[in-house]
Formats: sequence, C-alpha cells, structure tokens
Amino acid sequence: MSPNSNSSNLRMTVYAALFTAFIIIGGYISVPVPVGPVPIVLADFFVMLTALFLGYKWGPVSVALFLALGALGLPVFAGGKAGLAVLFGPTGGFLLGYLLLVIVTGLLTEKIKSVSAKGTLLKNIAALIAGNVLLYLVGVPWLKVVTKLPWSGALAAGLIPFIPGIIIKIAAAVIVAQVLLPRFKQATAQSAPRHEDA
Amino acid sequence: MPIVEARNLSHVFADGTAAIEDVNLQIEPKEFVVIAGPNGSGKTVFIRHLNGLLAPTRGQVLINGESIAKNLLQTRKKVGMVFQDSDSQIVGQTVEEDVAFGPENLNLPPEEVEKLVSESLQAVGLESYAAQNPHTLSGGLKKKLAIAGILAMKPEVIIFDEPFAGLDYPGTVQVLKQIVALHASGHTILLVTHELEKVLAHANRLMIISQGKLVKNGAPSEVIGSCESYGIRMPLRENEGIETLTWLK
Amino acid sequence: MMLFHYVHKNTPLHTMDGRIKVLCLVLLSLTASLATDVSDYLLLSAVILTALFVSRLPLIPLLRDMKFFLFLILFVFVMNAIGTGGEPIPDFPIRSVSVAGILTGAMFAWRLILIIILCAIMTGTTSLLVLKKAIEWGLRPIPFIPETRVGTMVNLTFVLIPVVLDQYTEMSVAQKARCVDSRKNPVKRVMFITLPLLSNIFRKTDELIFAMEARCYSEERTKAVFMKVCPMDWLILLICVLTIILMIV
Repeated sequence: MSPNSNSSNLRMTVYAALFTAFIIIGGYISVPVPVGPVPIVLADFFVMLTALFLGYKWGPVSVALFLALGALGLPVFAGGKAGLAVLFGPTGGFLLGYLLLVIVTGLLTEKIKSVSAKGTLLKNIAALIAGNVLLYLVGVPWLKVVTKLPWSGALAAGLIPFIPGIIIKIAAAVIVAQVLLPRFKQATAQSAPRHEDA
Repeated sequence: MPIVEARNLSHVFADGTAAIEDVNLQIEPKEFVVIAGPNGSGKTVFIRHLNGLLAPTRGQVLINGESIAKNLLQTRKKVGMVFQDSDSQIVGQTVEEDVAFGPENLNLPPEEVEKLVSESLQAVGLESYAAQNPHTLSGGLKKKLAIAGILAMKPEVIIFDEPFAGLDYPGTVQVLKQIVALHASGHTILLVTHELEKVLAHANRLMIISQGKLVKNGAPSEVIGSCESYGIRMPLRENEGIETLTWLK
Repeated sequence: MMLFHYVHKNTPLHTMDGRIKVLCLVLLSLTASLATDVSDYLLLSAVILTALFVSRLPLIPLLRDMKFFLFLILFVFVMNAIGTGGEPIPDFPIRSVSVAGILTGAMFAWRLILIIILCAIMTGTTSLLVLKKAIEWGLRPIPFIPETRVGTMVNLTFVLIPVVLDQYTEMSVAQKARCVDSRKNPVKRVMFITLPLLSNIFRKTDELIFAMEARCYSEERTKAVFMKVCPMDWLILLICVLTIILMIV
C-alpha cells in the first residue's frame, strides 16, 4: 500500500473547505454601493481564486458548499444574509453565477496548456474574463426579472458600478495565482501516491 | 528490540536539496530522547518520516522491527505526533469533538470513542473544558488538547515538535509537567527543541542534528559539551549539572 | 460579529434533534418567501417570535446585531417604496414614491427582519456539531455525494474561518504599520494584503493536513449517533408544517 494514497484527496478536501471559508469571509468584507441592491463584495474575488487554484473539479465543490450552507439558513451570504430567499432573491443570479464562473474558468485554465509564465498569465486573464462575463450574463437578467427593473436600471444596479472593481479583482487574482500557484500545484502533485523504497 | 529505528534515512526535496542524509538511529522503549538542532537543520523533516507523513528518498523507518511502509495506519496509531503550531492542528469546534477526531477516524463504535475521549481529557486535566471552543484556550492548554487528541489513539511513542515554542512561563511549565508525566506512565518520548535549558534534565539521551545529518547521539552529559559548535545555545553554566536543565521546580 | 454564535442553554430548541431543526429552518424560510399579505406576515411573525421567546436567547445582543443589517433593511424598504409604482402620493417631494410602494417596502423589510431573527435562533441554539451531523445524515440517502467528506468540509470551513480572520486582522495591522495606505494603486493594495495572507494561511493549512493525516484521517469514520427524537421535536415540526399549510391555503 502506498503511504499517501488517501492524502491527495484529503488535501483537496481541506483546501476546498478553506476556499469556502475565504468566500464566506469575502462576503463579510462587503461595501454597499450608494445605488443598487448589489453590494461590492470580495466574495467574487475569492471565487475567482477558487477557480484558479482548485480547478474545475474541486472549485465547484467549494462554491456549492458555500451555496448549500447559505441555502440551509446559515448567515454566509454577503453581509450575513442567508436562506433560500436570498438564493432566489435579486442577487440570487450572481450566487448561482459563481458556480458557472468556477466551472468555466477552471475548465479554461486547466484544459488549455501554456508553456511560458507569460502564456499562463494571459490564459488566466482570458479565463477570468470569460467566467465574469458569464457571471453577469446570468446575474443581471436575473436581477431585472426579480426586481422588475427596466434593462437600463438592471445594468445600472448590477453591472456598471462594478466594472472598475471587476478589473481590479481580476488583476489581483491573476497576480496572486502567478506568485502562489506554482508552489501550490507542486505540493498537490507531491501529495499524490508515491513509492516507498523499502 | 528498538521501538523506533531509522536506517540510512535520506530525504531529497524536489529541487534537489537534501533535507536529511543517511540518518541511522535506534530508540528503545520508554526512552526520553531530546533531538536538538538549529532552525533549518532538518529536525522536522526527520521526525515526519517516523510516522510516514513524509516518505524517504532512500532508507527506511521501522517500528517494533517492522517497516512502516507496510502498515501506515498501525504506525500512526502507535506513533503520535504533537505539532509545533497548536492552532493548525485543531479540527473540532469543541475540545471534546477535537479529541474524538482520531478515534472516529479509526471507525470505533461511538461508546468506545466517548470512553477514549473522557479518558484522554482526564489524563491531561481538561475535563472541565470539554464543551469549550478550542480557540479560546490558552497556549499551554491548547498544547494539552493536542496531546489529548494523540492520547485518544493510545500511542506508544509520542513525538513533540518544538512543544515550548510560543508558550509563556506558566504554559511551558504546564506542558513540561504533562510530558514528564507521559514518560512516567510508560510512553516513549521524542522531543525536538533548541531550548535545552527547559527540558534536558528529564531526557536520557540527546541527539544533535545539523545540516540534515545526525552528528551527535549519546547521554546528555556527553553530548552537551559540543552543542555550541552546532548552533545550539549551551544551556549549562559552570559547576552546574544536567539536572538543573528544567523549568520544573 | 454574530456569525455562528452558539449560546449554551437548556431549552426545547437547544435540545432539539438537529435533523428536525434543519428541516424546520428550511420550512420556515420557505414560508417566509411565500408570504404575501398582512395575515401571512402576522402568522409568520407569531411563529418566529414565539420561537425566539422559547429559545431564551439574549435579546440585547440580537438587537445590536440588527444594527449591522439596518442599512440593508432600509435599503430594501426604500428600493421598494420607489420602485413599486402605483398611485404617487400627492405633495410628496419624491414623485415615484407610492402608498403601495411604501406598503410593499415595509413588508419586504419586515420579512428581512424575520429571516434575520430566524437565522439568529438557528445559530444561537445549534452547535455546529449538531448541524454537521444533521447535514451528514441528510446526505446519506443521496447517491454520489460522500456525506462524511461533506461533513468534514463543513466542519473544517468553520474551523478555518476564525483562523483566516485572525490572520487577516494581524496582516492588516502589520501592513498599516508599514503605511500601505499611502499606496495609490488599488491592485497593489489588494496584493499587499492578500499575498502574505494567503501564503501564511496555505502554510497553516498544509500543517493542518499533516496533523489530520497523523491522526489517521479516514472517510470511513464513526457514524454520528442521534438521541431518540422526543415528542417535543415532532410538535415543533408539526407547527412549522401547519404554518406553511396555513400560508398556502
């Protein structure tokens, strides 16, 4: 029996829980915007990091756990809101959109091979932009339908005020990944089953 | 037969640096061994081989004469490890729940888990904290909680990695008393530290690891003289014996 | 912050079976989203306020926590008052505010308050162990979901939240001391906090993984035991079911 056959799974289980914790805390570090029902949160920043670090297999696990805890009624959504009501409320589309963001970003970053550090950087930026586009493609129409706002209102409340924030968050997420991801991936590879000389 | 034995143990990191090289040692049952060495000497990497957390590049570890690679689970039950950072080994929301983690991993029946938990808490004197949140405990008590978590697996050998790091005076005394009591109750103790003045009086052997090699191994009185040349503070003043090297009165 | 602040008491809500309690919570939050007219709200308020009374949770901290949500509640109110449409109020300075809008706004705000109270009751009367066990139990019949792993993840998430928060506080103080505030570039400011925060947390997490392995982590673990569900629990569930039926009819 290999000594660490279990540990690659354990490692990802623990890290998935850690990123869920990050997303929850990110929701608490939220800044309400003067107009619109969607506060600026760091939760989406951590969702982006979840996609880059955990990939398309474990990333969705992490986000799904976050959504499930909220749906059960634990105060984990932005600013301590919780419950099914939030999931189906005005910002529900963004919450479910997180799931799409991790899957798409995770898939793009893992399936496209890059050779140089610069290539990885560009790939991560593109994957995050794609993921965010999808997030808002779900979130904004949802907001419009639930709040019965006109399109102009939904865009003004659910997209336009966030654009500078999104750009900053994408830039920060990509740099964090560039610095920390190589070591993280290496450690993950090492925790996979190994041989013992004995 | 030695309870713990390392044969030609070497570990080379992925980047090619050797963390430990050719370590050979034997530890007999009920010994109290202090392993000293400056930071970065490979102490932690070394002890993490003893319960199979790290797999060696070369060589092997034997527990009771058997290679640990054969039965890792059995090894980890027999060889308990108390980590340096108490906070990052807490897995429970309450003291009780944290101690139960080990026995629950062994899939023991609930009644037995409960019994082991209460015995272990009693052994370290944390019964009255059972329902408390571990993060609210003092440094010394957190360390005791980590010890209780190990005791619940009924280990024969207990390895301590820098048990006094970050503890204040009362905390250090609390933990040291506990370690001495564990030794008295028949456990084999391996203790990694660079603070010899706090504990060496209780040990019957002192090993020094330097740059990944086991450079000294013998009775404390014989080894102590050479510790400064390996970057460990000489804890003895003139005319003082090894027996003064403890923080217990 | 009131996040998961469990208050140990001995009331029917505290001793309730976790599985039934989670079910009640789901039912009641569903009821809350179904409520439409004033009588619905009165019914729901009666149930939730009775539960609050039974739980004997301290009211003053709860009110203090409400302050945290005040902005949100006001916001919901104002948005609805403006956005609902209908007959505008004569002589009111803001034209789009209508009587219907104010009423809807008030109801939405009231619903939000009820949901917050509901959450407070849930987290105040339920230890996370109970919650984790209930989640594990609920997932058992669902195929392809490893319920023990999910249970472990739920548990670890809440173990790690305070660890991350502590580290975050420490980091931001240290960064402030080095005048990070004078940096203009927002990306750099985010980096200066997140990079050290993440690398520290990753190191702690790696240690946690080692500690879990050392304690024989396994997904085949002791199953949670549940006490026999007492009649009181069934009664509470019945009340929740009746509430939702009354609301739909």
